[in-house]
Amino acid sequence: MKRHLGSRKAVGIAAASALALTVTACGGGNDAGRGGDAAEGAPSPGITDTSVTLGITTPLSGATAGPGTCTVAGVTAYMGMKNAEGGIEFGDGKTRTVEIEALDDTYDPQQAKANYDQLKDDVFAMTAGLGTPTNRAWLDAAIADEVPQVLIMTGDPIFSETEQSPWQLGFVPIYQNEGEAFGELLATSTEEHKVAILAQNDDYGEGYVEGFKSAIEGSDNIEIVDELTYEATDTSVDAQLTELANSEADIFFNAMSVTPLMISALQKAQQLGWTPSWFLPSNTSSPTAILEPGGAAAYPGIYSVSFSKAPQSPAFAEDEDVQTYLSALKDYGNYPDPPAFPHCQWSWMVGATLEQAFQNMEEPTRDSFMEALRSIEGYEAPLMLPDTSVSTGEDGQPAVSTVVVQKFNGRGYDTVETFE
Amino acid sequence: MARVMTAPASSPSSPSSSWRRRPWVRWATPLLIVAVLAVLPLVGTEFQNETLARIGVFAVAVLGLNVVMGYTGQVSLGQIFFLGFGAYVTAYGVSQDWNIVLVFVLACLLPAAAGLLVALAAARLGGLAIAMVTIALPIVGVPLAKRLNEYTGGSQGLSARFAESPEGSGLYDDQWTLYLVIAIGGVVFLLTHFLVRGKYGRAFAIVKGNENVAASMGISPYRYKVLAFTIASAIGGVSGFLYMLVIQYTSPETMSFGHSIELLAAMVIGGAASIVGSLLGGAFYVLVPQLTNQVDASLTALLQGAILLVVLFVLPGGLASLPRALTRGRRRLRAGRGPAAPPTTPSSTPGSGTAAEQPETERQGHA
Repeated sequence: MKRHLGSRKAVGIAAASALALTVTACGGGNDAGRGGDAAEGAPSPGITDTSVTLGITTPLSGATAGPGTCTVAGVTAYMGMKNAEGGIEFGDGKTRTVEIEALDDTYDPQQAKANYDQLKDDVFAMTAGLGTPTNRAWLDAAIADEVPQVLIMTGDPIFSETEQSPWQLGFVPIYQNEGEAFGELLATSTEEHKVAILAQNDDYGEGYVEGFKSAIEGSDNIEIVDELTYEATDTSVDAQLTELANSEADIFFNAMSVTPLMISALQKAQQLGWTPSWFLPSNTSSPTAILEPGGAAAYPGIYSVSFSKAPQSPAFAEDEDVQTYLSALKDYGNYPDPPAFPHCQWSWMVGATLEQAFQNMEEPTRDSFMEALRSIEGYEAPLMLPDTSVSTGEDGQPAVSTVVVQKFNGRGYDTVETFE
Repeated sequence: MARVMTAPASSPSSPSSSWRRRPWVRWATPLLIVAVLAVLPLVGTEFQNETLARIGVFAVAVLGLNVVMGYTGQVSLGQIFFLGFGAYVTAYGVSQDWNIVLVFVLACLLPAAAGLLVALAAARLGGLAIAMVTIALPIVGVPLAKRLNEYTGGSQGLSARFAESPEGSGLYDDQWTLYLVIAIGGVVFLLTHFLVRGKYGRAFAIVKGNENVAASMGISPYRYKVLAFTIASAIGGVSGFLYMLVIQYTSPETMSFGHSIELLAAMVIGGAASIVGSLLGGAFYVLVPQLTNQVDASLTALLQGAILLVVLFVLPGGLASLPRALTRGRRRLRAGRGPAAPPTTPSSTPGSGTAAEQPETERQGHA
């Protein structure tokens, strides 16, 4: 009996492996590209004479689904619009339409790697995906396979170090860029300032603080009076705020990426009677989602950084870029609502930047694409704010490394030149 | 190849029920499996091999969970912590250029030691209390991994590539990786198979069934719970090693609590207290996201939930109970067609003779 069951179980295992094989066979591509290097100048995978396919792995479900969906919607809308116009004329003289294959990774690095494995032989380049760990998970694999992993949405500097990451390029400013922009603005002030710093205890917080400190170096009128950290998993920063409030700083540099914590921090400082000017990171400075519930009107100034026009802002209601963008998002991006996250705008700019690279690449190869992508200089993508641009040539910097500092005006943000 | 594959797959539907008892079948089946596993990496495409390797990783993780939960009946929600721990040990060891065999041993032993420590305290508790203690593991693990950034790379995580196929083997990296996963995973599966069918397995089953009965038979429930938990942690560590081998990257996200629940769901769906079920659970864990991604990438969570519900409604015993359910269904159909026809065998009456005749498969039903 025992033996009988044993072999029965064995049959089960065999059946299971057969099943697994057939199921993966359904999802599998051909094994073109494995090992064998293509001949010089031969087209790379994912590009034909009439079309090019781009891959995206990004969170489309789970806690980061909101921004993640935006990262797909923007570029899909841009390319949809271009396809409707007939396609993009490439540097080799052929006009191609752009297809996009997006997969959900739920912000799970393991799933992101799986998605990459699935896409790599079918797509010309990977782009626009959101998340630091989810992009890092296949960084080495992309280098080994020589698959472009470009214009991705992470502030992690590693993707912009050409030496370390030859097939990568980040799109959004790295954390240091944002911190630096704050520091530079503050350095324009002639008054004495005391700064209190609260930073997330990871590469995000460290990057911000590093950039900020480098910019205020040598400014004698600015003094950092207290500097504390918190963990991204903390549910409260009340203790840190109480201590920082005692420093009586008039500037509060808060490198915080957690939305609920930011709201409660804005509320707590008021309760403590501490009303400094705040510097907020770009991803936790939404007027409706954070500043309003946080009661930001109580503070003399709320500053943040940006490089994209806010479509909801009345200042841009008549803007031609914004109108094109909003209608394309609705028609081609499968995103009928007004965009809730700046990632939608960023993704749109990724589309425009890719178009620039496509127009300049002379051969339908990934090598040629990377070369063209790395030689974009001072390109003002649609939706970009004045004084910001896409420049891809500088080692160690992402495609967009310039940001402008903006001050909260009660409803939206206005760009400021000096600190008042 | 296709002929070899289809032979075992189609055989359960063969009308002859005695063929399995023939000696040549008993010997040929394991040989056939070994042959299939040996050939498999050579014929698959790169993506198929990578997917199979990933299935192997999570099948081992689910197997570990099965030891403590399926076979011993202790709710553990912390299995992903041991996978993550093993992955971090591996990544750190590789980054320090330690011998890979030493790294593997450490990736088993350190999680096992951690599991032992936790179990010494947790196994004194029963029922849901042990579940609460094990919940703490991933919840503590994530911030710990972020904070110990000297060893873990903080929230940016650690990459390690150490599975380049050896020079002269002529294998592609993905084939070599899959062979390693099959070899290591296969050994773990075999060892676990013998463990749960032997003396320890019987003790685990009694502890699961009734702790008082176990104690009255001279089986210390505490000791066996600790043992099961430690073994599960060690297996978790092995799956962490395989995780690094296949995915080559780990970050605090690896051990987030949600994945622990997903592992649990995979175990129940595959079939609790079943070796084959662990394999099916691993396949479920890996293939369902791929499948739902192909259907509609923006509805993956919804579709996965729906699939989970459907499987549990249709097959409460998990996918491993599918053949049994089919047999039962066929018999019922046959009985329904001819009311006069008596059941072919006494055991066909559901629930009566099965307990005595099919101890292994019956246990699956309790999950």
